Amino acid sequence: MIRFWKKRFVQGLKSENLYFDSEISQIKKEIKDTVKKRFAGSLAIRMVDSGSCNACEAECNALSNPYYDLERLGIYFVASPRHADILLVSGVNTFNMHHHLLNAYKQLPAPKWVITIGDCPVNLSSFEKTFAIKGGIENHIPVTHHIKGCPPEPKDIIAGFLEFLKKI
Amino acid sequence: MRFVARFALDLDGIVEVKTFYKNKNAVLQIESEKDNYTSITPKFPAAIWSERKIKDDFGIKFKGSFDERKLIHHERFPAIAPMLKSFVDSEIDFESFKPYKYEVIGGEGVFEVGVGPIHAGIIEPGHFQFSQEGENMLHLEVRHFYKYKAIEKMIEGKDPYTVFDIIEKISGNESIAYQKAYLKILSFASNQKISSDIRKYNALLLEIERLIHHLTDLGFIPNDAGFGSALAFCSQKSEELRRVLKEITGHRFGFGAIRGKAKIFNKEKLKDFLQKFENDIKWFKDWILDIPSLFDRFDTTGILTAKNAIKYSCVGVIARASGLRNDVRDNEEFYKNYGFELQREKTGDVSARFKVRLKEVFNSLDMIKNLLDFNESSMQIKELKDGEYYSFVESSLGELFMFLKIKDAKVERFYARDPSFVNWQVLHLMMNGNIIADFPLINKSCDLSYAGNDL
Repeated sequence: MIRFWKKRFVQGLKSENLYFDSEISQIKKEIKDTVKKRFAGSLAIRMVDSGSCNACEAECNALSNPYYDLERLGIYFVASPRHADILLVSGVNTFNMHHHLLNAYKQLPAPKWVITIGDCPVNLSSFEKTFAIKGGIENHIPVTHHIKGCPPEPKDIIAGFLEFLKKI
Repeated sequence: MRFVARFALDLDGIVEVKTFYKNKNAVLQIESEKDNYTSITPKFPAAIWSERKIKDDFGIKFKGSFDERKLIHHERFPAIAPMLKSFVDSEIDFESFKPYKYEVIGGEGVFEVGVGPIHAGIIEPGHFQFSQEGENMLHLEVRHFYKYKAIEKMIEGKDPYTVFDIIEKISGNESIAYQKAYLKILSFASNQKISSDIRKYNALLLEIERLIHHLTDLGFIPNDAGFGSALAFCSQKSEELRRVLKEITGHRFGFGAIRGKAKIFNKEKLKDFLQKFENDIKWFKDWILDIPSLFDRFDTTGILTAKNAIKYSCVGVIARASGLRNDVRDNEEFYKNYGFELQREKTGDVSARFKVRLKEVFNSLDMIKNLLDFNESSMQIKELKDGEYYSFVESSLGELFMFLKIKDAKVERFYARDPSFVNWQVLHLMMNGNIIADFPLINKSCDLSYAGNDL
């Protein structure tokens, strides 16, 4: 491990300070006052894929690499819907996944919100309606915010989370 | 002989079942059955998913099949045969729940553990049903098709020029491979030769996609053994490569990249980047191969013997890690001119799959340097003739097979056999003698696609 730490000290920090670092300090006071009561300073997200091409998941996985490092903003992905505040949904909502998606939503403890990510939940992206696609996620669970893109880049996803925090 | 794919077509009332095989010299053999359908699973066990899928899609039964449960139609699906031409509904209703009968081992003290379809972590949906004896895994059944979107039916009846956008999104991680395969098919259908410059450009993008996917795996496999620093290093490298792909093609995953053009980009910048990149990966290799506690988890975990890999028609990294010579690029003259060398290991365990990926990263870097020597070029796909066409591409997971039948200038039948479709069926053989805590490690070392499998 000495080799690893030597290289780490030579390379230095990789996390990029993008424009919204200044936005974070702006809403930090709001976070401290209102959101902190409900979220205690951290936001737990459960991600569910209801039938996508996997690009949105790859971008969400990229959020934990040293360039974006989502956890330093207090937002992190959890293993169980019962630990989460937010359900992040990607994909078109296929026939086979429909009931599992609704089950996951029921298991989130209140207060809860739903964010949809990518073009698939809204307009099926390049796909078209077939018998195997149920679609219409907003008709079954209440969607608060939408992050668009195919797939949205990691910096768009972080900007989307901050917009959501300002909304509620 | 190796089994490649088995699927069916509706020829105005008669269902034709086509089977593709490849012999030792990689020469293709095609067989066709129009009635008296007989199962080939006694000789090729990996065909069972294909036959169950044909039964769900077309409603026909195979004589002598050992498994007739529904595969794609899950518990609430109505009894329909949707791939027949007579089925045109775009909306079906949920039926009452009919439980699926899992393949489990009974006996005193044996219990079941069900994992999925929603897993911990950011990953696609799929179900695994374990039969456990304490910590030891006795048996595993893999059950997927939660992402089934009926893409084959979606594409039927359309103009072949307009379906590129759907095909590139079948599996996001293998998008370049799917686009390359479809462009090959269109060039066969219009009887045109793809120019050497465009071939070099497409091969260059395919190797970059392979690098990204392999580096992601090289980071996640040690992470599942509890070693997070490797993930921190490798995810940083694959992020840099995604940005390179965005600079070259305008999209981080290469959507819309391969349409019959070879575009010039800043080659000097890429060469400098690759030089620095190669030094970083050499540092990574010296560091990671020298950690005995990590390889204590990797060695002898999840072994797939060469005998089983041949019996179950495996492809890709999994087959090469067990000693098989199986790579689409091995049979193409084009690749031999640009430095391709097949990488193999013998032991077939997690450490073998890890080392094969590492070796392939270095080989891809060499190939990219040679492929950079191309000129700007573009081709117009001319009129497409009716007929049946197919192509093979080595995606980062293995051999991708694609089939297209054109009739009256429209798509009559489209089929893509993702490498994961055969490889998922061999996962349960790797579980013998391992404890359930090793399952995430073995599953990640294969890193198979759920979206490409489900179509």
